[in-house]
Amino acid sequence: MNNLFQELKNSSQLKNLFFRMLVVVMICIVLSLLTEAFFTTNNLLNVLRQASLLFLMASGLTLVLLTAGIDLSVGANVGMSACVAAVVMTNTGSTTLGFISGIGCGMLIGIGNGLLVTALRLPSFIATYGMLWILHGLTYYFMAGTTINGFEKSFRFIGSGYLYGIPVPIYIMSVFLILGSIFTKYSIYGQQIYAVGANPIVARLSGVPVNRRLMLVYILSGMAAGLASLVFLARLNSAEGDIGESLTLPAIAAVLIGGTSLFGGVGTMFGTLIGALILTLVLNGMNILTIDGNYQALVTGIIIILSVFLDLLFRRKASS
Amino acid sequence: MKNYQFLLTSAVFLSFASGQAFADGEKIAVFTKNQTNPYFQAFRLGSDSAAKQMNASTTHYVPTKPDSIPEQLGAIDDVIVKKPTGIVLIPVDYKAINPGVKKINDAGIPVVNATDRAESGNFVNWVGADDFSTANAAGKALVKALNGQGNVVILEGVRGVIGNTNRVNGFKKAIEEAPGIKLLASQPGNYQRLQGLQVMENLLQTYPKIDGVMAANDAMASGAIEALEGANRKALIVGINGSKEAVEAIKAGKMLASGDAAPFYQGCFATMSLIRSIRNLPVPKEIVFPPMVVEKATLANYDVAPDKQTCPAWSTIVK
Repeated sequence: MNNLFQELKNSSQLKNLFFRMLVVVMICIVLSLLTEAFFTTNNLLNVLRQASLLFLMASGLTLVLLTAGIDLSVGANVGMSACVAAVVMTNTGSTTLGFISGIGCGMLIGIGNGLLVTALRLPSFIATYGMLWILHGLTYYFMAGTTINGFEKSFRFIGSGYLYGIPVPIYIMSVFLILGSIFTKYSIYGQQIYAVGANPIVARLSGVPVNRRLMLVYILSGMAAGLASLVFLARLNSAEGDIGESLTLPAIAAVLIGGTSLFGGVGTMFGTLIGALILTLVLNGMNILTIDGNYQALVTGIIIILSVFLDLLFRRKASS
Repeated sequence: MKNYQFLLTSAVFLSFASGQAFADGEKIAVFTKNQTNPYFQAFRLGSDSAAKQMNASTTHYVPTKPDSIPEQLGAIDDVIVKKPTGIVLIPVDYKAINPGVKKINDAGIPVVNATDRAESGNFVNWVGADDFSTANAAGKALVKALNGQGNVVILEGVRGVIGNTNRVNGFKKAIEEAPGIKLLASQPGNYQRLQGLQVMENLLQTYPKIDGVMAANDAMASGAIEALEGANRKALIVGINGSKEAVEAIKAGKMLASGDAAPFYQGCFATMSLIRSIRNLPVPKEIVFPPMVVEKATLANYDVAPDKQTCPAWSTIVK
């Protein structure tokens, strides 16, 4: 059993990561050559801060994808959790209660997803897509087209504050990255999650409690979305129903560009960070170069396909 | 005025504002697109206010699933059976509504088209505002506040959507008329708050001096406010929608102005047009609202909640 994990981990993942970092470096070099505004401390912090929101959503998703599942409700979860936290904070005036309710709401949604996948045995694509609509329905109904604005300074710190000159979301992202990496690489839970994704039948026969691990990844994904919703809220100073919606697909893309397989069992947190960075860098670069909006979508698409294709090419070579 | 709520069918909520029963109590069916956008809420209240002033009554038909074409078409079928005196219609989709309009025409029920022009059909008239002139007016307010000098950026909505194209063109026209204003960039933020914020952050990296921001909606304008505050920089910002949030921001001095399509007035004059036409009074073929701009000077008009407003007299708008 341990051999299986070792094999999965060592095969070519280090090389893969190296290759992906190379892509990031290449993009950075090209952008530095094209514009002076890119390689400045301010802009690099700016890129990291923008990537951090995407990464928070994508970190939980990485775990789900490692089990060969998907969580399409992550954006709707961010929207609903943000609205719940906003309502609680404005009514109670308590930031602590806001935190608890935001993360708690995300976690409850995760439990819901987990039950649909394990107890009802629905395919995760359908279960979480259904959940997306349910969350939309509830959020739109309660918000009725309104927004909630204006939160306390102490709360806004986690989204728009600075600590030693570095934006706070970057610290939160780092904590997530470190904890996530330790969890996936070194904890028994993490190893079992890889095993479930690689082959659920073998995993079950080797004594991995498959359903409990599946439950765990959906709950963690929901909690990550809940926490992301708080950072969103603190950053935007405003809650509205579709707050995280535009990041659902980019978050999934970040995980995949980061080298996590859609078929489970392969991938790392660090890879996801690089995926989030690539996506953010591309958009940041195009905005800095003020490339026409019509081409932005086109270029983003090409870069996504190119980066995954080059990666596959590299992997095939490495395995042959 | 009392508000009763009946469950009409399993799908359609009917909110019924009962005025006193006068001899002239026309029954007006009002179709709007959704329950989620405050624009339509204001439109419905305007319509109620007009009907009340003219001793008529309104019934509202709103799809339970926002912007659902089949639901709107289904509700039209139901309404035709009930034979209202007249219909005010904001089509969910200007093309898909065609068969519904044909049924209304065939049933001989007079109908006013509001906000979005339907592709075909016989209407009493059209009542609405246009994106181009609303954006142009907001843009002019910015140019004026900048004294015709400075660097501006545009945050666009969704590329390729007609409303956005018109708004961006309206902004650009305002800039072209002021030779001292330089357009640095026009980037899409897809009407999203977060994207407006991030695009603005990126633009702030490139341009050390941005004096003005024109955003195609208020949500992106709010994002731009956050980006500027985060970077400790200042610029004048205009948005579009005249939303409650924008009114607050203008009051707080964080935003300069917001172009407004006057949904409450549209509701008023669409309903007045319909009732007047039923009563054989003259009605113009089109009522196009002059662009309105919410800014410090006009703020008092907007600080009133839509449910506290009343419709202005017909003659103040229609000459």
